[in-house]
Amino acid sequence: MLFNAIVIILMVCAFVVEEFMPAIPIAQHARLFLAPVFFFSAAVAVPFPIMLILAFMSGFMWDARYLQVSPPDSIAEAVAGFGMSSTGAGYNVAMSGGMDLRFGMSILMFGIIGTIMQGIRPLFKRVRWELPVLMVGVVTAVWLTVQYLLLTFFRGEIFFQFDVLSKLITDTLLAMLAAPVIFLVLHMLAKVTNYEIKYEGLRSRLDGR
Amino acid sequence: MKTFNIIAFLVFLAGGAAVLLLDTEATRSIQGKVMGIFAPFIHASSTMSTTTKDVMTPNVDPRELMRENERLRLEVQKLRITTQRHDDLLADNNKLRRLVAYKENAPFKNLIAARVMKRSAATWWNTMIIDKGENDGIQVDSPVITDVGLVGKVFRVAPQMAEVTLLTDETCQVAASVEGTRERGILSGQRAGLDARPDLRLRFLTRNAPIVTGASVYSTGDGRVFPPGVLLGKVKRFENSEISGEAVVETAVDFSIVEDVFVLPRRTEEGR
Repeated sequence: MLFNAIVIILMVCAFVVEEFMPAIPIAQHARLFLAPVFFFSAAVAVPFPIMLILAFMSGFMWDARYLQVSPPDSIAEAVAGFGMSSTGAGYNVAMSGGMDLRFGMSILMFGIIGTIMQGIRPLFKRVRWELPVLMVGVVTAVWLTVQYLLLTFFRGEIFFQFDVLSKLITDTLLAMLAAPVIFLVLHMLAKVTNYEIKYEGLRSRLDGR
Repeated sequence: MKTFNIIAFLVFLAGGAAVLLLDTEATRSIQGKVMGIFAPFIHASSTMSTTTKDVMTPNVDPRELMRENERLRLEVQKLRITTQRHDDLLADNNKLRRLVAYKENAPFKNLIAARVMKRSAATWWNTMIIDKGENDGIQVDSPVITDVGLVGKVFRVAPQMAEVTLLTDETCQVAASVEGTRERGILSGQRAGLDARPDLRLRFLTRNAPIVTGASVYSTGDGRVFPPGVLLGKVKRFENSEISGEAVVETAVDFSIVEDVFVLPRRTEEGR
């Protein structure tokens, strides 16, 4: 119980520290997304209901702090501009700007990712962090890719340039660099608070016993 | 699966759905409040970043002199913007248009000077946080300019700060015209245009439009968001697509070095 409470507090702290995270201009402003990465890592250590609480919290706070909500007025300029554009062809494209990423989508995305991460809890308990670290990298890449694909779906025009790949790879590598440190902190915290990770039906497949 | 887990999952889904169904106003309000809560940390990170910069490049001038210099610099930039507006009006050959433009768009008034606190990098978009907010009269969609040209528009407001969508962002679409032609189109950035100064695309122009490299691109003010006559950039090249023409535009503003900006009061229907 104490472990879970501290993890939730640390989750909030991760958002505070996130504000201090510098971006790397030469890599398309890639940076360590500390709060999501902390959630992906913590999802391995906590029970399912707590993981859902963390997913809700982190998804909500992420969207509240970072999501670019396009208000109806934001397309007004383009739509009004249509009337004056030389070809008039801008109408449909401009209107499509009305659909975009919605506030709350990160909650669902984090919920799905957290559920996937729950599957490797036995490895975390046995201090076999190779796969969990790799998984944090994979889910970070998946999260960013899904978000990019959703943007593409809502806004139209499919294009994937090198800059996108460069940022995606750098963000993923930074997440994988941070993951072992977060795992170590969580492991030490579990020891201090006498927290035991329960398998909940995953023993036969991943524990090898 | 335990019953408790199933209940937790259902509650999670219900909560997620409830958040997804929030309208834009509620979302904006939540975002403004959360930004307000994080304001001290954003200030601290900005101060830390500035201090680090100062340590790296020590400044020998006395503080008072710096403040005075800063004040004068802002004053000069303000005057430059006003002068630029006057020059644009004088250079306009179309008399009627000039008269209408003059009537409708008097030189910018009530400019709010703001300082860029930090450049915030999210997943697929970059923004700027400025040190003026709701308390200073800034609203969502207020245009943000410098003496050089358009920077973007405010999309999130907290009491003491605001976050700005850059002109280079895909969602910042501006009705624009090309100098020396009657061509008008919609200028916007590209998805994941995360460089300091990515190219913009001016779309929906006429095929084979007589657009020359280096021609200036200005906002037309046709929408409700941006004022007319603000410099957006210069044409780098012109391309023909299947049904229309498209110009690649270099931004007037170098976003990597922007430190001071001006926020214009949001245009209202009456003020159009």
